[in-house]
Amino acid sequence: MRLEHLLKSASFKLTAAYVGLFSVSVGILAGLIYFSSTSELDRAIRTRIVADSNALREEYAHGGKDQLLQAITERQRGRLIGGLDYTLYDAKGRHLFGTLPVVRCTSGWVTFTGPPDGDEPTGEMEKLGVLITPLTHGYCLLVGDDVGKVQKFGTLILDSFGWVFLLTVTMAVAGGFFLSSRVLGRIEAINRTAEAIIEGDISRRIPRRAAPDDLDRLAATLNRMLDRTTSLMESLRHVSNDIAHDLRTPLGRLRRSLEEARRTTSSPDEYRAAIDRAVSEVDGILDTFGAILRIAQIESGSRRNGFQNLVLSDLAADVCETFAPSIEDVGKSLRTDIQRGLWAHGDRELLVQALANLLENAIAHTPAGATVTVSLKASHNGVDLSVADNGCGVPEAEREHIFKRFYRLERSRTMAGNGLGLSIVAAVAELHGARITASDNKPGLRISIAFPAAA
Amino acid sequence: MNILLVEDDPDLAAYVLRGLAESGHHVDHAARGDSGYDLASRGNYDLLIVDRMLPGMDGLTLVKSLRGKQSKLPVLFLSNLGGLDDRVEGLNSGGDDYLSKPFAFTELLARVNALLRRPHLAGQPTTIRVGDLEMDLIKRRVTRAGREVDLQPREFSLLEYLMRRPDQIATRTMLLEGVWDYHFDPKTNIVETHISRLRSKIGGDIIQTVRGSGYLIRAARTSS
Repeated sequence: MRLEHLLKSASFKLTAAYVGLFSVSVGILAGLIYFSSTSELDRAIRTRIVADSNALREEYAHGGKDQLLQAITERQRGRLIGGLDYTLYDAKGRHLFGTLPVVRCTSGWVTFTGPPDGDEPTGEMEKLGVLITPLTHGYCLLVGDDVGKVQKFGTLILDSFGWVFLLTVTMAVAGGFFLSSRVLGRIEAINRTAEAIIEGDISRRIPRRAAPDDLDRLAATLNRMLDRTTSLMESLRHVSNDIAHDLRTPLGRLRRSLEEARRTTSSPDEYRAAIDRAVSEVDGILDTFGAILRIAQIESGSRRNGFQNLVLSDLAADVCETFAPSIEDVGKSLRTDIQRGLWAHGDRELLVQALANLLENAIAHTPAGATVTVSLKASHNGVDLSVADNGCGVPEAEREHIFKRFYRLERSRTMAGNGLGLSIVAAVAELHGARITASDNKPGLRISIAFPAAA
Repeated sequence: MNILLVEDDPDLAAYVLRGLAESGHHVDHAARGDSGYDLASRGNYDLLIVDRMLPGMDGLTLVKSLRGKQSKLPVLFLSNLGGLDDRVEGLNSGGDDYLSKPFAFTELLARVNALLRRPHLAGQPTTIRVGDLEMDLIKRRVTRAGREVDLQPREFSLLEYLMRRPDQIATRTMLLEGVWDYHFDPKTNIVETHISRLRSKIGGDIIQTVRGSGYLIRAARTSS
C-alpha cells in the first residue's frame, strides 16, 4: 500500500522520468565517445604503419636489402612497448627478419592473431593489424601493430560509463524513493489535517517545519486560509446568535407595549401615541436589519469596483461641518485638525458613513462637555484618519472587541443604538485595505484608520 | 394625476393604492413586469412606480425598455434589497428616484409629489423668490425683505432645495440625499439642526414643519 503510493506519487514519477532521460543521454554520450575514440585510435595506428612502411620502402629503394635490414634492425633495437612489428622475407618465403607468418605478397591490410605479447587480458590472443608492402626482387615487407588495444580502450570506455551509469541510476532511484517518501509524508500530513477538519475538528492545523521551503509555505498559506475560514464561521455563528438575541429584545418590548396599549388605552390620542411608539420601535428593528445587510454588502467587496480617487481632506471637512451644529447642540464640541489636499482611493458614500458613524459613536458615549477631535494627517505610507474623544474611554481588554457586531460595553447596554456602527466602520476600513485600531486617548478613546497611499 | 404601480406584493400594492387614492391620485396596478410594461407603454401616465424584482420582467429591464422607446415618464423605483449598488443601478437604468422598502407612506407620497412636479422646475432661474425671501443663485446671496442674510454654504443649499420646490414636502431622507448626498440614515439629527440654524437666520416663519413628514416652504404665503 505504502510502496504503491510511493510508486504512484508525482515526485517519484518525476524522478523516474529524469532517470530515464539521463540514461538515454548517458547511453548516447557513451556511444559517441566510444566510436569517435576507437576510430581515431585505429586511424592513428594505421597512419603510423603506412608512414613507416613508406619510409622503409625508401630505404630499400635507396640502399637495397642491406640498408633496409639495417633500418629495421635500428628500429627494432630502439623498440619500446607500443612499437611496431617488422617482418621481411624473400621470394622463397625465407624470413630475413621478424616472425610474422608468410602470406601472399600483395599490397594491403591483413589481420593476424598471434601469441600474447604480455599486454593482453589473459587467455586472449594478440591481434595484429599488418600492412603488406611488396618490394622489388620478390622481397616482401610486413609492418604491423597491435590493434587489439583499440578494442581494449573502447571496452575500458564502455566499462567506465557502465559503472558511472549504474551508480547514478542507483542513487537516482534511491533519491527518488527518499524524496518521494518525504514529500508524500508531508502531503499525507496535509491530507490528514484536511480529513480531520472535514470530520469537524476545525481547530486542526497543518504541522509546520523549522526550515521553510515551498511545501512549508503552502502549509502556512493553507493554515492562514483555515484561520480566515474559521474566523468567518465564528463571526457568522456569532452574528446569527446576536441577531436572534438583539432582535428578540426590541420585539419583546414591542409586543409588551402593544398588549399594554390594548389593555389600557381608551382615547384616540392615547392609541395614536401607542402606535407612534410601536412604529419607532419597529423602525429601530428595521435599522438593525439594514445595518446587518449593509455590513454584508460591504464585506462582499463588490463596492471596490466603484472606487475612485477622492480628496479625503474635503470629505472629512465636509462631514465635520455637517455634524458640528448637532454636536454643539448637545453641549459637546468638535475640534478638527485636517491637513489639506490628502487623497484616498475609495468609495465616497461609505467613507462618509464611516466617519459619520465614528462621530456619532464618540458623541453617544461621552459625557456632556466632552471634546471630539477629528484629525487627518499624511503618514509615512498613506493617510491616517482618527476620531478621538476625552470621555471615559474603553478598558483595554474590551478595545479589540468594539468592532465586533452587536458588541456593546456593559455601561452602554441601556443606551440607544444597535452595536453595529463601529462594525460598519471596520467593514468600510477593511474594504479600503485600511487598518483600524482603537487606542487609549488618555483620557478617552481614539479610533484610527490608516489608509494606504492612493494608487 | 395618473400613476401606474407595478408591484407583485399584494399587501404592499393595496397599501400604496389606498394611500395614493386618498391623496387624490388615480392609480392603476399591474402585478407583473410584462403586463406593467404593456400598460406603461400604452397608457397615459404621469408617473410610474415600479418594484425592482417582478415576475415576468424585472423592474430594471422594464424601465430600460421604456427609456429605449424614448419615454419621458418619471420613474420611482421601489426595492426591498435596500442595497448599496441597487440605487445606482436603478438610477442608471433610467429611474428618477429610488426608495428602499420598507418605507413610510409619507416618504413615498413626498417623493411621488416631487416627481410629479419635476417638469415645472426644468428651467434654471437665476433668482428664486418666496414672499419677501429672495435667493440669487448666481451671486449665491439671500436677502429677506431686502436685508442680506449670511448663510453657510450648506445652509444655502438646504434653503435652495426647499425654495426650488415650493409647497412640496421634503422629507428628512430627501434632504439628506438631495443636499448632503448622504444615502444612509445618520442617527444624529443633522437635518433638524441645520433647519433650526437656517430658521434662526432667515426667520422662523418661512420653513414649516409638517409633523411626521418633513419640511416645506409655502409659495403663496401671505406676507406679514
